[in-house]
Amino acid sequence: MRLGMVIDLKRCIGCYGCQIACKSENGTRPGTTYARVVKREWGEFPNVKKLSIPVLCMHCNDPPCVDVCPTGASQKRDEDGVVFIDREACVGCRACMMGCPYGARYFQDETRDYFEVGENAYEQAAYSAHERGVVEKCDFCRSRLAQGEEPACSANCMCKARIFGDLDDPDSEVRRLIDEHGGFQLNPELGTDPSVYYLPPER
Amino acid sequence: MDISTQLDLRNDTLDLRRQDLAQVYRPQREWIDGRGLLIVVAHFFSGIGAGAWLWSTLYDFDIGRWIAFGCVVGLSGIAHLAFLGRWNRFWRMLKRPHKSWISRGIWSIGLFSLLAVASEIPAIADSAAAKPLVFASVLAACAILAYEGFVYAASKAIPFWNTSLLPVLYVAYGLRGGAALLLIAAALGAGQFDVAAVEAVKLWAIVSTAVLILLYLVSGRRAGGAARESVSALVMGRVSAAFYGGTMIVGIALPIALTAFRETLAIPELVVLGAIGVTSLIGDFYVKYCVVKAGVYTPLVGATGVKRAQNA
Amino acid sequence: MPKHEAIDQASQNDNEDVWIQSACGMCYNQCGIRGHRVDGTLIKIEGNPDNPIGRGRLCARGLAGIQLLYDPHRIDYPLRRTNPEKGIGVDPKWERISWDDALDEITERLATIKENDPRGLYFSGTVICLAPLSHALATFLPAFGTPNSFVSDGHQCGNAEHILARTLHGSVTTNPDVEHCDYLLLFGCQAGLGTYYALTTMAQDVADARDRGMKLVVVDPFLSSAAEKADEWVPIKPGSDGALACAILNLLVNEYRIFDADYLLEHADGPYLLTEDGWYARDPGSNRPLVWDIDAGKPRPFDDPELGQVALEGAYQVEGQTCRTVFETLKGTVAKWTPEAASEVTTIPPDMIRKIARDFGEAACIERTIEIDGRELPHRPAAALYFKGAHGHDNAWPTSMAIELLNEVVGASNVPGGLLGTTPVCDGHPDTGFPRWKPGANEDGLLDAGMLLYNDPYGVVPGWPPPPTDTELPNLRDLIGWPITTCFTPAALTDKENFSFDHKPELLLNYGSNLLMSAARPEVTFEAFKDTFVVSFNLHSDETAEALSDIVLPDTSYMERLDPLPNFTRHHHPVGLGNWGHTIRQPLVEPLHERRHFTEVLLELGQRLGLTETMNLLTNNLYGLVAPHALDPERTYSWREISDQAYRSWFGDEHGLDWFETNGVMRWPKKVEEVFWKPFVHARAPLYNEWLKRAGEQVDEIVEKKGIKGVDTSGFFPLPDWRPCRAHRAREGYDMQAIYYRVPWHTFSMTYENPWLDEISRGEPYSYFICINTKTARAKNITDGDPIEVEGADGGTIRGRARLTEGVHPEVLAVANNGGHWAKGMPFARGKGVFFNQLLPMDLEHSDLVSLSMDCDARVRVTRMAEGA
Ligand SMILES: Nc1nc2c(c(=O)[nH]1)N[C@H]1C(S)=C(S)[C@@H](COP(=O)(O)OP(=O)(O)OC[C@H]3O[C@@H](n4cnc5c(=O)[nH]c(N)nc54)[C@H](O)[C@@H]3O)O[C@H]1N2
Ligand SMILES: Nc1nc2c(c(=O)[nH]1)N[C@H]1C(S)=C(S)[C@@H](COP(=O)(O)OP(=O)(O)OC[C@H]3O[C@@H](n4cnc5c(=O)[nH]c(N)nc54)[C@H](O)[C@@H]3O)O[C@H]1N2
Ligand code: SF4
Ligand code: SF4
Ligand code: SF4
Ligand code: SF4
Ligand code: SF4
Ligand SMILES: [Mo]
Repeated sequence: MRLGMVIDLKRCIGCYGCQIACKSENGTRPGTTYARVVKREWGEFPNVKKLSIPVLCMHCNDPPCVDVCPTGASQKRDEDGVVFIDREACVGCRACMMGCPYGARYFQDETRDYFEVGENAYEQAAYSAHERGVVEKCDFCRSRLAQGEEPACSANCMCKARIFGDLDDPDSEVRRLIDEHGGFQLNPELGTDPSVYYLPPER
Repeated sequence: MDISTQLDLRNDTLDLRRQDLAQVYRPQREWIDGRGLLIVVAHFFSGIGAGAWLWSTLYDFDIGRWIAFGCVVGLSGIAHLAFLGRWNRFWRMLKRPHKSWISRGIWSIGLFSLLAVASEIPAIADSAAAKPLVFASVLAACAILAYEGFVYAASKAIPFWNTSLLPVLYVAYGLRGGAALLLIAAALGAGQFDVAAVEAVKLWAIVSTAVLILLYLVSGRRAGGAARESVSALVMGRVSAAFYGGTMIVGIALPIALTAFRETLAIPELVVLGAIGVTSLIGDFYVKYCVVKAGVYTPLVGATGVKRAQNA
Repeated sequence: MPKHEAIDQASQNDNEDVWIQSACGMCYNQCGIRGHRVDGTLIKIEGNPDNPIGRGRLCARGLAGIQLLYDPHRIDYPLRRTNPEKGIGVDPKWERISWDDALDEITERLATIKENDPRGLYFSGTVICLAPLSHALATFLPAFGTPNSFVSDGHQCGNAEHILARTLHGSVTTNPDVEHCDYLLLFGCQAGLGTYYALTTMAQDVADARDRGMKLVVVDPFLSSAAEKADEWVPIKPGSDGALACAILNLLVNEYRIFDADYLLEHADGPYLLTEDGWYARDPGSNRPLVWDIDAGKPRPFDDPELGQVALEGAYQVEGQTCRTVFETLKGTVAKWTPEAASEVTTIPPDMIRKIARDFGEAACIERTIEIDGRELPHRPAAALYFKGAHGHDNAWPTSMAIELLNEVVGASNVPGGLLGTTPVCDGHPDTGFPRWKPGANEDGLLDAGMLLYNDPYGVVPGWPPPPTDTELPNLRDLIGWPITTCFTPAALTDKENFSFDHKPELLLNYGSNLLMSAARPEVTFEAFKDTFVVSFNLHSDETAEALSDIVLPDTSYMERLDPLPNFTRHHHPVGLGNWGHTIRQPLVEPLHERRHFTEVLLELGQRLGLTETMNLLTNNLYGLVAPHALDPERTYSWREISDQAYRSWFGDEHGLDWFETNGVMRWPKKVEEVFWKPFVHARAPLYNEWLKRAGEQVDEIVEKKGIKGVDTSGFFPLPDWRPCRAHRAREGYDMQAIYYRVPWHTFSMTYENPWLDEISRGEPYSYFICINTKTARAKNITDGDPIEVEGADGGTIRGRARLTEGVHPEVLAVANNGGHWAKGMPFARGKGVFFNQLLPMDLEHSDLVSLSMDCDARVRVTRMAEGA
C-alpha cells in the first residue's frame, strides 16, 4: 500500500481551509503549517492566471529528508509509505530541512507564541503533544489513519479538492483521477517521486 | 486622530519566515538565522582546525596542533552542540554514517579527537603506534575537511549547494584557514615554525580560493533557477554586503595586497603576517557565511510543475 | 466516545471527552459544526457531516473559531469608561465593574428614556449574529417602543439585491442552482468561491459543477478567488456593471432575440401594458393591469379567464393612448446600450460583451425541459448572480435590476439551472407542517413573498415594499422603508442641515457591530453618537467601543451560547435540492469568565423594565409559536425555556431542546416544488417596478414639504439602466478607483484578531497589501513592497504597502476586507492589513436612495511614500 493524495487544482479555490484544518487537528505552534497554500500568478493583464497550489509533505517515495537524517528520526513507513519523524529521536539538526525540496518541515525553536501573554487554554492542551527543539511535519495524520479516518485536510476541504487514497490500488479514486486527468508530481526531476499528485487546473 | 498613521508599515512586523512562503524562491533560514548561525561557526572552526592540524603535522608545529585540536574539539564541538535543538541527544547522530554526511562528520570529529588525544599521550607518542596514529589523525582531519562541504552538497533542495564544487571549495578554504591560523600563531610568537613555507602555501591558497569562488559563482549562474537566484543574492542581493565586504575585500583583496606590499609597508614583518592571517580568517568565515546565507530552495512549483499547472 | 454520539453537558470532569453539535458563527452562514471538548477544554472544531449546512466541511474561519473562544484579548467582564473624553484613538481607560452595577445603570437610563420618548433608544447590530439580532429587533426593541434600529452593514451589504430577491424570487437572497447549471455569470460576487451565502455548501456544489463542465465567467476588477477559478475573467471598471448587463440584455432581447417568451408571458409582467406616463394600464372597473389579447384584438385584465393569445411585444391603442407592453418598453430602454456604448464605460471590448451575451443566451437553452422526481420542469442552465462588488455603488438599484433581468428574460428564475431565491417555499416538517411559507400573488398578480416570518412595522423584513411616509426617523425607515436593513442613521444624524428630528439618540445599544470601522469613514459614526450614552455588547473592545462606548458588556461568543434556531429565517440556507436543516447552536463550553449571552441579558433588561409581557407576545409572533407552546404573557421564561418551546412548537413535543442538544440537527428532504417552485406558483415577477415609480413621487412630495435637499429620486426608475456613480466623476489629478474585495479566510474586520487567520494572510501575497497593476505602478515609480499613500478625491487617506500584480484592472487599487485596526483591545489585529473605509464618506450624495446602498469605491490618487515615513 502506498498512501497518497491527489490535489485537484481545478477544484481548489485557495481558501486556506486545509491550512487551518491541519493546524487545528495537529495543534501546531505559530509558524508551523504542515498544510498550506502557495499562490502564483503568470501572464500579463488581462491575460493573467492566478493559481492556488495547496502543499503538504509529499511523502516522497524516495525521500531526501530521510537520507540526510543523521539520527534516523526521519523515517518512511514500510507498510504504507508514510514519511514521519520520531520526535523522541530527533536532535534538531535541521539537515532534513535542507534536503526537503517541498518546504514541508518546521523546526520548533525556542519561544514563539501567538499571543504576547503566552499560551491560552487551548494551546496548552494542544501543544502538550509537541516537543521543542525538534523538527515536525505532516505525517498524513497518522493518528487519524489509525482510527480509520482520512486526514483532516482532505476530510474538511470544502471543494473536495484533496482526495486521499492508496496509489498502489488500481481501483482507487486517487489512481483513477491521476490516470484520467493526467496527474503530475511537483519537481519530478528531483527524483523524489512524491506521493502527492496534482491535477491540472484546466482540462 | 489620523488613523492611517497607526498603520504599521514596517516590513519586519511580518514574520520573515511566513513572508518567504509567498515568494517563489524561499531563502533557507534555519542554518543561518538566529541560533542557526552556530552551524556556520561550528563548520568554520572545525574547518580551520582540521586545516591547521594538517599543516602543523606536516611542519611539526606543536602549538599549532594544540590550537587545531582546540578549534575542532572545543570551539566547533561547543558550537555544534549549542546549535542542536536537543544537544543531549547528540549521540544519536552517530547512528547513520552509511547515509548521512552529518553522521560521518560526527564520526570523524569523534575519531579525530580520540586519535589526536591518543597521539599526544606520552606513552603512545613514544611508541611504535605513534606514526600510524598520527597518520590516522591526519586522515580524520581530512575527513573533517571534506565532510562539511558534503553536508551542504547533500541538500537536494538547495541547488546552489547541491554541487560537487562545494566540497572542493570547503576543503580549499579549510586548508587556507588552517594556514592562516598558524600564521597568526606565529605572529603571536608561537615560535619554531617555518613561516615562509606556510606563507607560500597561503598565497597560493588565497589565489586558488579566489579562482574557486569565481568558478562556483559561474557554475551557479549557469545552473539557472534557484542556484542562479543564490548567485544574485551574493552578487547584488541580500547577501552582497557580506560577500563583497567579508569574502572579497577582507578575505581576498586585503591578504593579497598585504602580501604584495609587505616589503613597502613600514610595519614589522610579524604584524603583517598576523594581519594576513586575520584577514584571511575573516574571509574564510565569510565565505561560509555567504554561501550558506545565499542558499535558496528549489521553487515548489518547478519548471515542470509550472508548465503542467499553467497548461492553459 | 465516538463522535456522533451524545453530549455530556454536565460533566466538566477530568475524564470528559465529548463531541457537541452546534453551529458556526464566524460569519452569518451558520454552518453545522461539532466541537470536541476534553477535560473542559475545547480542543477541536470541525464540520458536522450530519448537517446539510456545510455537510461536514468548514471554511478556514470556521475552523479557527477556537482562537476566538480563548483569545486572551476577549472582554471577560463588564467595563466602564473612566476617561470622560471620547474620541477616535483615545484610550477609554476601562475599569472593571460588576454586572449588577452595569445593568442598574443601563436600566435606570432606559427607564428614563422610555418614559420621556422611547425613540431615544437606538440600536445597531451585526449580521454575523443573525438569530440574536433578529430576536432583539423583533422583541425587545418594539416592546420598548423604538423604531430606531439599524444594522451596521446594510448600506455596504446587500440591500439592493435583497429588494429584488424579494420582488423577483420571494426571498431575501438568491443563489444559483449550480447542480443543473452550465453557465454561471458572476458580477462582483464570489458565491461558492470564497464568500457569500451558504459558502461551505456552495463551494462543494460549485466545484462539482465546474468539474462537470459548468462554465464560470467572473466580472470583477480584481482577480479575486472567484475570478481565479473563472473560465473567463472579465476585468471591469468598478461601478459599471449595469452598463455591461444592459448591453447583454440589449443583445439578448433586441439583436439575438433570445428570450423565454412563455416565461415572460406567464410568470412575469412582460405582457402588462404601460400607459404613456409609465403606469400599468388598468381596467377601469377592476383596476387590474391590462394585457393585450391578440385574439380578441383588445386589452383585457391579466387574469381574465377568457384571455386568448396574449401579446408580449408591441404597442397597442388603449383608450386613446399608445400602450407598450412591459417587455417592449424594456427592449426600448436597453436599446441604447450597444456593446460599443457599454465598452466605453466598462473598458470591456465589445467582442467580449457579444461573446458573453451569446454564450449566456445559448447556455440558457430556452424550451429545454428536465425531469426531476417525475416532474417535468423547464431547465435553464444559465444564471447571473451579483452582489457586493456590482451593487456596492450609488447606482446600485439600476445595476442590480439589469443583472437580475438577465435571468428573467431567459426564464432562468426559480427553475432548475437558474437563479433561485433562498428558500422562498417551505411546506414544513413532514410531521408538523411547520415552518411553512409560500409566495402568493398580490392583486396585480405580482409575486408577494411569503417566507417572511413577521410583518410588523419593526420587522426586519416587510412583505411588500411599503409606501413612503413622513421622515421622522434617522434610519429613513419611514421615508425609504423597503431596504431590508436600515443603515442610514449615522449619515442622517450628521446631516444637520437637512434632517432635524424631534428626538435624539440618548442611548445607543450596539450589538457586535464595529460600525466605526465598517460603516464608512469613522468620523461619521463618531460624530453621530459622540454625545450619546453608548453601551456595547461585544467580544473585543473594538474601535467602536473604545471611541464611543461608556459601558462594554462581555458577550458570549457563538461557542458559549444557546441560539435555538441560528438560521431560523433561513436566508442563508443552501438552495437547490437536498435536505432542509434546522440546527442548534449550543455552548461547546460554558461561558468563560463573566461573559453573558446578549439575548439573556435582554430578557433580564426586559424584565427590569417591565416589558416581559409584550416581549413574550412578540416572541410568539417572531417564531410563530402556537398553543400549547406559545409563551404565556404573564410568565417569565428563561432562555432555555423559550428555546424549548420554540422547538416543540416547530417540531413536536418529542423534539424539544433536549432532543436538539443530543441530535444537533433536524433535517428532512426538500421537495421539488419547494426548490423549483416557479412553475407551481401563479405569481408574476415584476420586470417593471411600478411601485418604485410611485414611491419616487411620494418621496419627492415628502422631501419637498420638509425642505430636505439632496434627495435625488431620478434613480427611482422602474427599469434597468446605467448611470455613472460618484467615483466616476473626473477629478483633476485623481486618476484611479479604489475598491475592496473579500478573501475567503477573513470576515470583514473581526477576524484580523484571529492568529491563525492572520498567519494565512502573512504567508499570502496580497491580502495585507494594496494591490496595484504592475504597469500602472511602474508609471508612477512604485515598486513592489513600497509604502504608498492613497488619497481620496472626497477626502480620506489610506496607507499600506504596494503589491504589484497583473491581476487588477490598470485603473484600480484593490484592498482586502477591512484591516488596519487601531483599537488597544485588539492588539493582535493592530496595524495588520489596510483600513479602506477612511476613503468612504457616508451621505446622500454617495448613496443609492432606492436601496440606501453606498458607493464603496472611491476616486483616488496614489503616491509613493518615503520609506520609514
Ligand atoms: N469569507 C467571507 N465570506 C463572507 C463574508 C466575509 O467577510 N468573508 N461576508 C459575508 C457578507 S456580510 C457578505 S455581504 C458577502 C459578500 O459576498 P461578495 O459579494 O461575494 O463579497 P466581496 O468579495 O466583497 O465582493 C465580490 C467582488 O466584487 C469585486 N468588486 C468590487 N467592486 C466591483 C465592481 O464595481 N464591479 C464588479 N463587478 N466587481 C467589483 C471585488 O473585487 C470582489 O472580488 O459575503 C459573506 N460571506
Ligand atoms: N472595508 C470594508 N468595509 C466593509 C466591508 C468590507 O468587506 N470591507 N463589508 C461590509 C459589509 S457587507 C458588512 S455586512 C459590514 C459588516 O460590518 P460589522 O458587522 O460591523 O463587521 P465587523 O467590522 O467585522 O465587526 C463585527 C463586530 O462584531 C463582533 N462580534 C462577532 N461575533 C460576536 C458575537 O457573537 N457577539 C457580539 N456581541 N459581538 C460579536 C466582533 O467582535 C466585531 O467587533 O461591513 C461592511 N464594511
Ligand atoms: S481547503 Fe481545499 S479548496 Fe481550500 S485551499 Fe485547501 S485544498 Fe484548496
Ligand atoms: S532535525 Fe531531526 S529529523 Fe531532521 S535530520 Fe536532524 S535528526 Fe533527522
Ligand atoms: S516532502 Fe520533504 S519532508 Fe516530505 S517526504 Fe519529501 S523530502 Fe521528506
Ligand atoms: S495530512 Fe494531516 S498532517 Fe498532513 S497536511 Fe493534511 S491535515 Fe496536516
Ligand atoms: S462560512 Fe461562515 S458559518 Fe460557515 S464555516 Fe465559514 S465562517 Fe463559519
Ligand atoms: Mo454584508
